[in-house]
Parts: sequence; C-alpha cells; structure tokens
Amino acid sequence: MALLDIRNLSIDIETAQGKIRVIDKASLNIVEGSIHGLIGESGSGKTLIAQAIMGLHNNNWTVTADRMFLGGIDLTKLSQKERRQIMGKEISMIFQKPSSYLDPSQKIHTQIKSVLPKQTMKIRIRRILGKIRRVNVQSSRLQMKELLHKVGIQHDISILNSYPHQLSEGVCQKIMIAMAIANNPRLIIADEPTTSMEAVTQSQIFRLLYKLNQLNNTTLLILSNNFANTSNISDYMTLVYCGQTVESGSYKQIITSAMHPYTQALLKTMIHNDPSHEHKGELYTLPGNIPSANQLPIGCRLGPRCPRAQRTCVENPSVTIKKGHSFRCHYPIKLS
Amino acid sequence: MLSFLIRRLNLLLITAFILTIIAFAIDRSVTIESDLTLSEQPNYFFQYLSYLFNLLDGNFGYSSLDNQPLLTRGLLFFNATLELCFSALLISCLIAIPLGLLAGLFRNTKLDYMIMTVAIVGLALPVFWVGVMAVLLPSVWGDVLPVDGNLSLIYDVPTVTGFLLIDTLLVTKEYGLFAFFDRIAHLILPSLVLSFFLVTEIIRLTRHSMTMVMRSNYIKAAYAKGFSRRKIVFTHALRNALPPIIPQLRLQLSTVISFAMTIEIVFNLDGIGKWLFTSLKAGDYLVLPAGMLIITGFILFFSILVEIIMVIISPLRRGSLYVDK
Amino acid sequence: MLINNGFNEDKIQSPLRYIWSIFKSKSIAVVAMWLVILLIFAAIFAPHFVPHSPLAQNSDKMLLPPYWVDGGDIDHILGTDDLGRDTLSRVFHGLQFTFGGAILITFIVAIIGMVIGASAALTKGIKASILHHLLDALLAIPSLLLALILITIFGPSYYNCLIAISLSLLPQFIRASYLAIEQELGKQYIIALQLDGATNLRLFRYGILPNILEPTITVINRLFTMAIIEIATLGFLGFGAQLPQTELGSLIASSMELIYLSPWLVIFPGLAIFLVIVIVNVFAEGLRHAVIEGEE
Repeated sequence: MALLDIRNLSIDIETAQGKIRVIDKASLNIVEGSIHGLIGESGSGKTLIAQAIMGLHNNNWTVTADRMFLGGIDLTKLSQKERRQIMGKEISMIFQKPSSYLDPSQKIHTQIKSVLPKQTMKIRIRRILGKIRRVNVQSSRLQMKELLHKVGIQHDISILNSYPHQLSEGVCQKIMIAMAIANNPRLIIADEPTTSMEAVTQSQIFRLLYKLNQLNNTTLLILSNNFANTSNISDYMTLVYCGQTVESGSYKQIITSAMHPYTQALLKTMIHNDPSHEHKGELYTLPGNIPSANQLPIGCRLGPRCPRAQRTCVENPSVTIKKGHSFRCHYPIKLS
Repeated sequence: MLSFLIRRLNLLLITAFILTIIAFAIDRSVTIESDLTLSEQPNYFFQYLSYLFNLLDGNFGYSSLDNQPLLTRGLLFFNATLELCFSALLISCLIAIPLGLLAGLFRNTKLDYMIMTVAIVGLALPVFWVGVMAVLLPSVWGDVLPVDGNLSLIYDVPTVTGFLLIDTLLVTKEYGLFAFFDRIAHLILPSLVLSFFLVTEIIRLTRHSMTMVMRSNYIKAAYAKGFSRRKIVFTHALRNALPPIIPQLRLQLSTVISFAMTIEIVFNLDGIGKWLFTSLKAGDYLVLPAGMLIITGFILFFSILVEIIMVIISPLRRGSLYVDK
Repeated sequence: MLINNGFNEDKIQSPLRYIWSIFKSKSIAVVAMWLVILLIFAAIFAPHFVPHSPLAQNSDKMLLPPYWVDGGDIDHILGTDDLGRDTLSRVFHGLQFTFGGAILITFIVAIIGMVIGASAALTKGIKASILHHLLDALLAIPSLLLALILITIFGPSYYNCLIAISLSLLPQFIRASYLAIEQELGKQYIIALQLDGATNLRLFRYGILPNILEPTITVINRLFTMAIIEIATLGFLGFGAQLPQTELGSLIASSMELIYLSPWLVIFPGLAIFLVIVIVNVFAEGLRHAVIEGEE
C-alpha cells in the first residue's frame, strides 16, 4: 500500500525573468516500509520535491498537485497548524551538510530535547513518583541516551554537552538522524545525506539508514545524485531529469529493463568491470549539457539530448505504467 | 583564555603607544610658538621620552586658561559625555532592536519598508540641526523639557565622579531626589537627538543580522521539525541574531562620541566636546592632545571589554579562539 | 512555460547589464538617480541660474518669510535673511560647497583608500602589520576630533576643512575596503587565480573588484553621508567655511541668533542637507539591491 502518493506535482517559482516551472508534473509513489531512491543530477529538482512534500516553501512558490496523500492525509489541504503537526511527527527530514542545520548557539542536549515528544503533566508526575518508589520511569535524559545509542554514538554525555561546531560532519549527521527518529515518523526524507563525507562515514550512515528501515519499518525516501551508491540499498527508484520524473520502478526493473533513454544512459555511464569494454575505449556520456533553469526545452526536457528523440517529443509524453514500472517516453527502449 | 587576554593587551599597548606618538606630534605642532619649556632636550626622541614619562605620571599638562591639570578636568567632562552617550545608547537600543528584528522578520513587506524609511530619515538628519530644532521646541510646546545646560542652576551639586546622575544621588540630603530628576529631565532631549543616528545604525544591523539568521539552514531545519514560527524566532533566531550586533556597535562608538560632542555644543552641556570647543576658541590648544588621549583611551578600553564579553557569551567565538592557535 | 524566442542563448547578458536591467525596474531608485544627476548639475551651475547673488543685500526686504506665508514675496521664494539676502540662492550656493565638497572628498578618499586597502590586503609581513596598528590607533580617534585637530594645525578655512575631513575619513575607508578584500581573498576562486600565476594587479582587477561591488557601494555611501555631515558640522562650529562662503552648516550657524525671529533661515539649509543625504542614500540602496539580486 502506498504511504506517499503524489500525482502530477508542479512547482512554479517567481523569478526576475518571470515564472519558471521548475518541477513539471512529477509523480512519486512510495510503498510503505520500503527504501525509495529519488535520483537525479544536482539541480534537477529533487530537493524541491522534498521541500514541497514537507511544506517548506517560500512565498514565491506555487505548488500544484492533482493528488498528494500521506497515508490518509491530503497534504495539499492542510492548514499551517495541521501541517506543523505532521512535520517532525509523521515526516521528518535529514539534510546534506548537517552541521549547518544545527543551531550553532545551542548545545546538542538542548536541541535534541526540543524534538522529544512533549512531556505532559502526567508523565512528569509519574516520573517524580517513580523516583520516590525507585522505579525507573524513562526520563528525557534516558530517552536522549537511547536515541544516541540507536544511531551509533557511544559516548553520549560528551556529545550532548558540546556545540555543533565542535563535532564532525558524520557525528552531526547521526545527531540529525537521531532527531529525525525521535518521534518515530512514518516517513524520513534524506536529502543527499552523505555528500561531502568520507567514504567510511558514508557507508556508516547508509548502514544506519538501512537498519532503521529494517528494524522500525520506517519508510525512507533517499535523495541522491549517485546512482551506484543509492541503488544498493533502494527497493524502489525514481529518476528525475530537469524537474520531470522520467522513470520509476523497483530496483530490479530499473536495472534490468530500463525503458527510458535517460535511465539507459545513466546505466551505461556506470563503470563496470566489464571485459567487453574496450581498452582505452571512450566512456559513454549523453551529448550536451543540462539546460539552465530559465531556458528549459518544451515537451520532454530530455529532448535535445536524447538519442531517440523524434518530432513528437516536443509534447510532454504521458505516463505509461506496466506492472508498477512507470515511465514517460514516446519512444521507450523496447526489450529485445 | 589567558593567552587570548595577553595577546589582546599586547595589541592594546602597541596601539596606545602609537597614540602617544600622535599626541606628542600634535603637542609639538600646536605649541611651537607659545612655549618652548619642554623642548630643552636636544632632539625629538628625548623630548618624546620626557613627554611619555609625564603622561605615565598622569601629568597631561596644565590648561593655559585656568591652570587646572588637564587630565582631571578632561576626565570629569568626559564622564558627563559618557553619561550622554550611554543614555542615548539605552534609548536607541530600546527603540531600534525590536524595530530591526521586526524588519528582518518581515523582510520586503510594507512593515519592513516603513521601518527602513524611518531608518534612512534618521541617518540623513544632521545631528546638530536636529539639536537646533530641539532647542526651538520650548517655543512651540511650552516649557516641557529643559534644553539648556546639565542641571538647573538652583542645585549646587559638588562634582565627585563627573557622572552627574551619580553626583545628584549623592546630595539627596539637601535636595532629596529632585536634583536627580532634574538631571534626567536635562538628559532626555540631548539623548533623544543623539539616538536618532544610533537608532538608524542599530535598525540596520539588527535587520541584516536577523535576515541572515532567518535564511540559514538551521532555521529551515527547525521549520522541518514542525516548530511554530514564534518558537523558532524566540528560541533559535534571537539567540543567534543578537550577539553579532554587539561588536558592530562598538565600531559605532567613536562616531557616537563625535556626535555627542556636537550635541553638547548645541545644547550647552558641560562635556568634553564643549570643553574642547571653548578652550580652542580661547586659544588653549594643549587640550587637544589631552582630550584625544582620554577619548581614545576609553575607546580602546571599551573595545577590549566588548571582545572579552563576546568571548564569554558566544560559544562560536570561543571555538574560533582555539582554531586560531 | 513556453519560450517563443528561438535564439534565446544569444541573449545571455553581461553581469553589469543584468544589474542595470534590475536597477531600471526599481522606480524609486531610478528617480533618485535622476535627482542625484540633477543635484550634481545644480551644484556645478548654481551661480548661473539662481535668481539673486547670494551676497546681494537688499535693505528693503529683510527677514522675509517664504512666499507661501503671509508677507512673503514671490521674488524671494524661500525668503531673505537679516541683510535681505535671498535664501534660495544662498542654499543653492551652499549646496555647491557642501554637496560638491562631499563628492570631492568621497572621490579622493575612495581612490586613495582603495589603493592603500588593496595593497595592505595583498602584501603580507611587516608593512601590512605597521599599517594595521596605525589604522587601529587612528580608528580609535573619533573622526570629528581628528578633523578638529587637523584644522587646528592647518588653520580654519574651507579647503583645509576638506583636507582634514578627507584625512579623518580615510582610516575608516581603508579599514572597510581592507576587510572586504581580505574576506574575498580567502575564497577558492582567488586561490585558483593565484595558482594560475596571476599578478596582484590582475588578481585585483578580475578576481576581487567585481566581487566586492556590494560592500564598496555600502562603504562609499556611508563615506559620502559622513563627509556631508562633517562638512556641515565643522561649518556650523565655525571651523570650516569662513564667512562670506555660504556653506550650509555655516548658514545655519550664522542664523542661530535669528532663530526665534525667523526660524526659516535655520530650517531650509538643514532640510537641504537632509534631502541630499536621503536622495543619495535611496540611490545607493537601490544600486546595492540591484547588485545583490544580480549576483544571486
């Protein structure tokens, strides 16, 4: 069953040159309990989609969608207050460059405490009574300790008492993850969680995210520009090119039977230890460059770069769905 | 922390040393015709040394008008100026920081434009002219606030600290609190006029700092955690936006003292500005190096103080201290 | 969005032109720009178009109020002073001294300060260190006091006052430009340029100058504001322009005794200073915003 169901999400941004449609009819369908990779080059609009889901838009954005459901909740019809109830509780988000997403003037301790579930009067009284009766009732201190242990931080006391600028990026990311899972959200959006980190830390973070998914059955949406890295842990994948979702399907479908020329190109660019690859042979790339945001081509935005493009490609292709494998192309690659 | 203090003091000493050289140069260039008593030594170097020892001895020379020692006179007058400056600072912080925060929070809205218009007007009004206009006030509104002098003449307050607010509190036996209130009444208009400029400056600084903070990533993250706007502003934004203003304000101190000197002349207040002005008009040029040393000494002392406070209150600064090493 | 222009890529604008196109869209800033140009013309050609000579006395028409007040004269729009001299002409002449002087100071200080600031930022070692400490010391002296000291040494006159104000504002500008350049020097593209073997001059021209446009505009705007206020303040205190010269500050000072009799004489020069600063500030703010938006 789909946890997050987005159909035809469009985002227009007001700029000095006029309105620009940065996200053009993107569709996203995330199965509950799965890891979903949202893959695209930097600047392709992955972050915008994530921010639209979270509702973190600026005033000069217009977000329109045919359908945008989280479980049973219609995200497009929420008031500010209702949305705040969902943010952090149902969906939480992890960012790239985590150290800049932590408040530099507060200790980690204070910051984690602020996201813990509200301490109601009842819990407080129970805790005081528990102290008298020497029964261990979970205090916020203990909760924090447990959270940090969950994300693999052992020496919790020294970490809790430090400021963000004293910690490394990897530890900061772990703290961000700890803060994200504090309320047991149903969906965690991870926005390029491992960019600018060392390889060891990267794999640590990925393992941590994978474990979260396996143990708590938390649904994960991982945004990444690294196809090879993300495909290892993703159950499903969606590829984005210039604000259009080009193809989406399960890991196996994408790897073995890519239908869209862009996916095909991405797969070809991955370097395999392939004996058939000629020595000193050219590595494959798509011709041309990513168009800038104010000069987007009409219709299928891959058009000018696409090896299979034809005249009809100036119109936006509609979605074709085959066994949960959907793509937008007029001339999909036929399976031989 | 200790090594930081030592380094700062070291810089302070070098700067103070350069300032004494400048003071000496001024002293030489203004006294060349009038008296040559000091220049018995063979060359400038020895002259400077004797000048420096005099300074260290607390001997800044004597006024040629009334033969008072310049240092004690100057300090007393300067204290009155400081009183004016700090009351202006207080008033302008009370007005400007909330306005600046609002402008930064509601950037590019009507409220923001309104506040920034006020800020530009405050900057563009020449202080002495506003002072002159304020002196005109009693003829328009009647005798609401005094516009002339430090204190009404009926009170005879002995000068102890130079800070008249304290001095008037010391004479409560004779006058009760009336002298104190009279002093406050005398202080209100000059401080208001002086705060015109400061309000502008603080609004701009606060607004800029607030916008920068509100655009930063951790505010975005706080929104993503589902915090309300009010909570974000009070727990995250203010804590980060306000501290950077303090060192910026320190840079304004010398400008504020400049304006305070002008205002003293307009409002006929006894302060270092008026003292320098009247002495210069009367031909007593020796007040210049003495006045300069007093003012700059205070500014140097104050900036070190601000830096130490910043290190104490801001964890980020404390962090960067260690990075420097 | 449909892009009709097939040759879109031909129209990638140069940064300056882009900034200009943003600036043009801000109507208040454009109005301010025209007013600044008008002010400059007024300052240069004031003697040629004002109706009266600023020194021409007229014993029949003394202390006239502005013409819209009872007893005013259309011949003297802003009234006359105690010797029957036309206030409008005197204010325009004062504009020449105050505004013109401030522009001159801004221009000279900006060039010298930028050169010294850049050379201080680009050189390391003992030269930069000496300059640094000297600046620290000079910055601790309030600029008005510094100007007073210099005028006491040079003797009071309008040109000495200009020199004194330039010298007293110079340390502030050097420090500001030094800080801006220093900040820029730490950036990656500067290091890339340095690794390319760029000379200091080339580094400054192509690497630094285009990127410090915004802070420079702010600092120059501030410099101008301070210059105009200080010229007027020194004139007011009697250390600047001497008597027959109609500097705006000294105009205010000379009418101080008449303040209860004819407050107009004090109000109009002050308003003139106020308007000049407002106009220039609005212009500079508009320019700054255009530059910021252009960079984004």
